[in-house]
Amino acid sequence: MRFRCFVLFCCGFILLATSTQAMANPVTEQLRDASTLEKVIKNGKLRIGFSTFVPWAMKDKTGAFIGYEIDVATRLAHDMGVRPEFIPTKWSGIIPSLLTGKFDIIIGGMGITPKRNLKVNFTIPYEYSGMSMIANKKLAAGFNSLEDFNKPSVTLSARTGATPVQAAKRFMPRATLRFFDDEAQALQEVLIGKAHAMIASAPFPAHQAIRHENKLFLPLGETTFTKEPIGFAIKKGDPDFLNFLNNWIIITSAEGWLQARHDYWFKTLDWEQRIK
Amino acid sequence: MYRPPSPRRPSLLDLIILLILISGAGWLYYQATTNMDYTWDWSVIPQYLFRYDAHQERWVPNLLILGLMTTIRLSVWSTILATIIGIFMGCLRISKHRVRRWLGGAYVSLSRNLPPLVLVFIFYFFVGEQIMPFLGIEQCVDNCAPATKSILEWLFGPTSQLASFLTAVITLGIYEGAYITEIVRSGIDSVDQGQWEAGNALGFDWWSSMRFIILPQAVRIVLPPLAGQFISTIKDSAIVSVISIQELTFQGMELMAATYLTFEVWITITLMYFGLTFGCSLLARKLELALRRREQG
Repeated sequence: MRFRCFVLFCCGFILLATSTQAMANPVTEQLRDASTLEKVIKNGKLRIGFSTFVPWAMKDKTGAFIGYEIDVATRLAHDMGVRPEFIPTKWSGIIPSLLTGKFDIIIGGMGITPKRNLKVNFTIPYEYSGMSMIANKKLAAGFNSLEDFNKPSVTLSARTGATPVQAAKRFMPRATLRFFDDEAQALQEVLIGKAHAMIASAPFPAHQAIRHENKLFLPLGETTFTKEPIGFAIKKGDPDFLNFLNNWIIITSAEGWLQARHDYWFKTLDWEQRIK
Repeated sequence: MYRPPSPRRPSLLDLIILLILISGAGWLYYQATTNMDYTWDWSVIPQYLFRYDAHQERWVPNLLILGLMTTIRLSVWSTILATIIGIFMGCLRISKHRVRRWLGGAYVSLSRNLPPLVLVFIFYFFVGEQIMPFLGIEQCVDNCAPATKSILEWLFGPTSQLASFLTAVITLGIYEGAYITEIVRSGIDSVDQGQWEAGNALGFDWWSSMRFIILPQAVRIVLPPLAGQFISTIKDSAIVSVISIQELTFQGMELMAATYLTFEVWITITLMYFGLTFGCSLLARKLELALRRREQG
């Protein structure tokens, strides 16, 4: 009997001890421990979701990933003291993949839009991108303004995804739109004359105008008709990780490092022989 | 008097059909080369198959061949899983218990009447997320010895993608398993009812009859359609490119996005798939003939 009392007392004591322990662990600490930041440090790797998108991210001849985005992600992982693990993902499923934990962060040239922001959290912009157009010389001869393309008889092609779609609907609502899974297919439509022009983020149109100068031209010149902030996307409810990333962007921006990498990938074509 | 045409000499109709086909192909080729406005560049394609690695001083497989390897691994594992599921469910389908029959039937009608793409998404986003972390595969792989790692790499491809790869294998296995279930069921059904009765008369119970009398006969009937199903699995494996499994189709699409060589890459991939499936078809044909010879001889 006495022994039983003793056991009961012990059990009660243990229960009491653990419950006070839990009470001494406020919400902030739980939040800190649940952060992706903690998980990344613990696993020693940062898993990055992205999609092939010249010159943001692509595979070179040896099958290694190269590009502006890859440089950014590699340095970010290095500054966190972990190794980067690149997970190439189809663009159409990239947000669901992040939300279901296939990777920790999207660094994939993703434009910050209110609609996407309802599902994921964005960092401050580390880059600005803009939409531009590349047109077929025969079909779109003499076109040089957005108004010229804003007709039902004009067909525009673009890669599936939010930003080109929004740009087209805002500036050329009357044109016929066709969407493709990747940029090569959308460009092919313009090359074979099935579409008048393609809408894409700079610098793609300028690069293509150089490559196919006898068939394609830049109807709007080098200017972009939209300006989109590009950020990293992470899961909601993770203030620590967001704070770390935002400050990382501020630091690398202040160093001028981001700009230098941007100029190499966007303003030169020195990297082209690494691909083909 | 009617004489059937001799099988060796082609008739006039054959020649006409052949001419139509050849001229059609010629017209397509002409269209492709003149009106397409496409700059062909085949010279860069071979390096995506194999490349010379200066560090290791030897030739190593590159993107497309690696993709093909993943496709083969995926097909083999999915077929093995589908066969296990198929045998189990096939036995349920012919069971005497109504509930078991119903279970097997429900499985077959569910997986056969859903588009495989839908199944893939359901598994990848819902099931994959629940089951894989529960099994803790990623942590296991990270902590295992280098020797185990290399064995795993050889069996399943890059270990970093193991969890996604297994999700894909399970999805394909369940989808193809429904077809194999039906193959197994029809194979067992095609064995004469008298064989069961003979087994009973000799005092065999259900399991022994199955093992010693029915299955050996059913296997012979089932092998050719099974080989055909394996070829189907290879073709269906392209579906999992949508969940970013790095098999041949996915690698090809990534390559197109990077190089814009749409047609060269698609044609190369088509030939690679065809080589793989046609090779398997020839093997299946050989197997069938060998079985027939054994039966007759």
